Amino acid sequence: MTSNENRATDEPAASDGGFAAGETKAGDPDQTEAPLIETNVTADVDDDDGGASFGTTIIESRGLDVFYGDDQALQDVNLEIPENQVTAIIGPSGCGKSTFLRCINRMNDLVDVARVEGELRLNGKNVYDDDVDPVALRRKIGMVFQHPNPFPKSIYDNVAYGLEIQDKDVDTDAVVEESLKRAALWDEVKDRLDESALDLSGGQQQRLCIARAIAVDPEVILMDEPASALDPIATSQIEDLIEELAEEYTVVIVTHNMQQAARISDMTAVFLTGGELVEYDATDQIFENPASQRVEDYITGKFG
Amino acid sequence: MARESYQEKLEALRDDVLYMSELVLERLRLGVDALEQKDEELAWEVIDGDDEINQLYLDLESECVDLLALQQPVASDLRFIAASFKIITDLERIGDLATNLGEYSIEAQRDVYPEVDIQAVADETIDMVQAAMEAYEREDAEACYTIADRDDAVDDQCERASETVVRDLIEHEVDADTDDTEVEQLMADVSRMLLTIRDLERVGDHAVNIAARTLYMVENDDDLIY
Repeated sequence: MTSNENRATDEPAASDGGFAAGETKAGDPDQTEAPLIETNVTADVDDDDGGASFGTTIIESRGLDVFYGDDQALQDVNLEIPENQVTAIIGPSGCGKSTFLRCINRMNDLVDVARVEGELRLNGKNVYDDDVDPVALRRKIGMVFQHPNPFPKSIYDNVAYGLEIQDKDVDTDAVVEESLKRAALWDEVKDRLDESALDLSGGQQQRLCIARAIAVDPEVILMDEPASALDPIATSQIEDLIEELAEEYTVVIVTHNMQQAARISDMTAVFLTGGELVEYDATDQIFENPASQRVEDYITGKFG
Repeated sequence: MARESYQEKLEALRDDVLYMSELVLERLRLGVDALEQKDEELAWEVIDGDDEINQLYLDLESECVDLLALQQPVASDLRFIAASFKIITDLERIGDLATNLGEYSIEAQRDVYPEVDIQAVADETIDMVQAAMEAYEREDAEACYTIADRDDAVDDQCERASETVVRDLIEHEVDADTDDTEVEQLMADVSRMLLTIRDLERVGDHAVNIAARTLYMVENDDDLIY
C-alpha cells in the first residue's frame, strides 16, 4: 500500500471490518489533489450543463496502481463512482478497464501475478485492508460476465445457489421469484423453473446470471461486456434491465460499445492506453463535448 | 486516421453546405440587383432558381440524417452535423427571402422612397451571411460574436427606414380629390417597402443564427442561440 500517508485525516471510522462504515463524503478535501484526469466531478454538482447531481460516492479509487508482473495495467487511478447510478468504463483493448472493474471486488486476487497498490474503497472502507474477507466482499459486489455462465443446474437452483451457500434464513421461493422478476425473466421461465439453465437462450442465460447476482442482495453489480455476445433484441433487454437495476443498485459496466455506454450510463470513465484514466464526467458531457482531445479522438474514431 | 470513409463524408457535408451558401448568396445579390435596377428578367432568374435551392436543402438534410443514423457521430463530429443541419435551414430561408425581393421588384415599377438606402442594408446583411459562413468554414468562434454585434446596427437601420416610410405615409396628403388608383398604389408601395426592409432585416437574423450554430459547433457554447 502506498497511500497510507494520505489517510490520517479522512479515514472514516471503519474498524469493524464491515462495509457499512458510514457514507464517504463526496466533497473529500483530497479530491483536489487528483488533477491528472479531466473531470468535473465535484461535491456540490448540479452543474449548468443540465447534468443531474452526481450523488453520493459509493466506490472510490485512490492512487490505484495494478501490475501484472512487470507490466503496469493501471496507473494512479482516482475515481469516485456514485451510488445508484450506471457508470460506464470505456476505452480501447488493453487500456485496463476490465482490470479496474476486477479491482472493485478483488477478482484480481485470483491472478497470481497481479499486484494492487493504492486504495479501492467501498463505502469508505478500503477493500484491500487486511481485515477484509474477499468472499464477503463479493456478496456485496455481484458480477456479470461477457459470456453467460449459468451453473449446469436448474433455473431455480441457479438463482437459489447464492442464498443456500450463504445459509441465509430466507424464503428461497420468494427470493427466486423476486430476483427473476427484477431480471425481467420471470414471465419467460416461471413454468419451467426446474429445467436446465443451459436450455435457455443466450439472452435469457445472461438475465439469469443477473438474477443470480441480485438474489443475494448486493450493493453493486459489476458487468464486464454483458451484452457483447448477444443479439440486438437481447441486448436491448439487458440495457433496459440495467437502467431499472440502477434504481436499487450501483451498476458499473465495462463495454467496448460506445453507443451502449452513451445510451445507458449516467457517468462515463474513459481509460486510454497504458492504464490511464483520462477523463471522467457525466455521460452527456463525454459524448457531446469531452474536455480531453485524446478522448475526443478516441470516441470519434480518430484514435491512433 | 481511422474511419476514413466517415471522415470523407463529413468533409463532403462541409463542402456541400459551403456550396449551398454560395448559391444562396448569389441569388440574394441578384434579388437585390433586380430590386434596385427594376430588372424583371433578373427577378425571374431568382424566383425560378428557388427550386434548385430547395432541392439542395432536402439533399443536405438527408445527408445529415444518414450520418446520424449510420455513423452515430459524437463530440465535435456530432456538433458539426447538428450545426450544419440547422444552418442549411437558415440558408434555405435566405433563399426564400431572395425570391421575395425578386417578386417585389416585379411588382414595383417606380422608385418610391429614394431616401431609404436599401442597397446599404442589403450589402451589410449579405456581408454578414458571408462572414458567418466563413466562420463556419474556418471554425472561428471569435468571428461569430462579431457577426452577432453587427446585427444590432442592422436592426437600428431597418427600424429607422421603416419609420421613414410610415412617417411619409402619415404626411402624405390624401383628400377627396385623390383618385382611388393613386391611394391603392400608395398602399402597395408602402407595404412592399416595409416588407423589403423586414426581409433584409431577417437576412441579418439568419446570419446571426448561422454564427450562433457555428459557435456551438466550435466551442459547445450556446451563448448566441437566442
